[in-house]
Amino acid sequence: MTGSFLPLLVVVPLLGAALGTLVPGSVARVMLVLSPVLTSAGGVALLVAHRDTPVLAADVGGFVPGIAIPLVSDTFSAVMITVTGLTTTACIVFALISGEARLRFFPSLVMMLSAGVNGAFLTGDMFNLFVFIEVMLLPSYALIAMTGTWRRLGVGRLFVVVNLVTSTILLIGIGLVYGVAGSVNMAVLTDMDADDPRFQLAVGTVLLALSVKAGVVPLHGWLPRSYPATSASVMALFSALHTKVAIYAIFRIHQTVLDGAAQWMTVLLVLFTLTMLVGAYGSLGEKMIRRSLAWQMIAGVGYILLGVGIGTQLGLAAGLFYMVHHILVMGSLLLSSGAVEHAYRTQQFVGLSGLMRREPLLAVVVALGMMSLIGFPPSSGFFGKVGIAQAAADLDGFRIWLVLGTLLVASIGTLLAMTRLWADVFWGPPLEEMPSRGKGHTEPPVVPEGTKMRAGTLAPAGALLLVSLAIFVVPGPLWELCQQAADGLLDVTAYVETVTAS
Amino acid sequence: VTVLPITVGILVAGGVYLLCHPTLVRIVFGITLLSHGANLVLLASGVSAWRGEPLTGTGDPADAGDPLPMAFVLTAIVITLAVTVFMLALARVGHDDDTLHVPDTGEDHRA
Repeated sequence: MTGSFLPLLVVVPLLGAALGTLVPGSVARVMLVLSPVLTSAGGVALLVAHRDTPVLAADVGGFVPGIAIPLVSDTFSAVMITVTGLTTTACIVFALISGEARLRFFPSLVMMLSAGVNGAFLTGDMFNLFVFIEVMLLPSYALIAMTGTWRRLGVGRLFVVVNLVTSTILLIGIGLVYGVAGSVNMAVLTDMDADDPRFQLAVGTVLLALSVKAGVVPLHGWLPRSYPATSASVMALFSALHTKVAIYAIFRIHQTVLDGAAQWMTVLLVLFTLTMLVGAYGSLGEKMIRRSLAWQMIAGVGYILLGVGIGTQLGLAAGLFYMVHHILVMGSLLLSSGAVEHAYRTQQFVGLSGLMRREPLLAVVVALGMMSLIGFPPSSGFFGKVGIAQAAADLDGFRIWLVLGTLLVASIGTLLAMTRLWADVFWGPPLEEMPSRGKGHTEPPVVPEGTKMRAGTLAPAGALLLVSLAIFVVPGPLWELCQQAADGLLDVTAYVETVTAS
Repeated sequence: VTVLPITVGILVAGGVYLLCHPTLVRIVFGITLLSHGANLVLLASGVSAWRGEPLTGTGDPADAGDPLPMAFVLTAIVITLAVTVFMLALARVGHDDDTLHVPDTGEDHRA
């Protein structure tokens, strides 16, 4: 397989988005399902190809290498494309079930979003990364404004303003990189002296902007306020794609362009452990299912980025493994919440009670998802946390205590938050006999007699959970892929050779 | 040589000042100023002096300007324009551009 196949991963969803505005809604919805399925198929094909050739590259437009804007794929990007494609499929299936996919332009917007995400995973050029992030964000602005609660317009403004200001900072950072290095091609940038303070400052500006988009504490405030106001399927989509694209770019730029910058290790470790703590305990103040989960998303960002902070092969691989686990489990939990909202029309703790007896299947899916999030077996979260703990054990001095201690304390925080969610929503008296816990406008809504969840609404969440359980049973293949991806980040020779020679 | 950095500084300061306001239209103006500042930073990363046009066959490439930052700026302008239009639409929806209060969309708030 040659790299000339790579542009298809961007072009096909983008064409689908354009066609989706013209064709009738039913045809558009078929394309909507096909697009992420094809994306994950392409990702799997890339994973197979990367067994023999570690890096594939395509110079779009046939310009001279170094001047052309390259699309590059290695194991890391292929893993990301496959996993995000899979999760996107689940989110879209849920959107079809809940009826949101019938909204006008919804199929086109989601396909445009996928095109941007795939492009961001594949690009080998920083400015192109900015462009693809914008391609990803523009449809998101529309999606956040058209789905979800009445609060969506207010938070839509917040989301747009924060992301636009951050993009401006990203743009300034990329301009500075170009000013210092004379190129924004990541393969060319690996030749730069990573200890040059001007270069560090320029790349640091880029990383700062990406940290806001990833939701690193103390730049996280926008995330738990804006995401829960959209609908469950769109929030699951954003959670699987947006922050993860930013995290992918941080892994890539920090490792290949900045050579891991070991002198900043302590600063990064403090930031990321803080992210874990704030995220894990932030849930405790929330009174809605998805608001509570949004904080756990932030905690997950901390765990994943610890891989970058530790910076060893084991650390990077563990971070990547955790990212795959987190995308799947967070998707499963958010879509479960979506199933609850679809049947009971609320996600507030005051409006829900005793779901364990009423919806046993939901209870099983959510309980396993929560255990995965906390890190208990039998789920992918167990190996995710074991990997990070093992990588942290190789650190020296106080850092080992910082990371391992935080890992423990943050996991307890997640446990507390999930127990509270469970006790409020799944335990307690049956819905009909529930005492009014609310005041004023938070009075619990009346649930019509005999309301039950349709089993189909739970299928996407269940499917994602099954993948998580499968990873627990056979973690080997995924772990090997993550190690291969980490090797590709540490040793950039093959990456640089392929990009400059293609 | 110092004109460009000072201009960027003024634009960014004005942009940040406007961003601190609670009304969306002012925020949009603030973002416009900020993005102009960012565009000038991009231009400055090339060569800011007057140079020849970077087209093949129109003179010595050594005298030509750097085309890449210009391409960056063009792309950035298009993106900012699109988002500005969207944000102005958001400011219009609900007939109120105050970001402190939730706009009335005419929908049932319980739903």
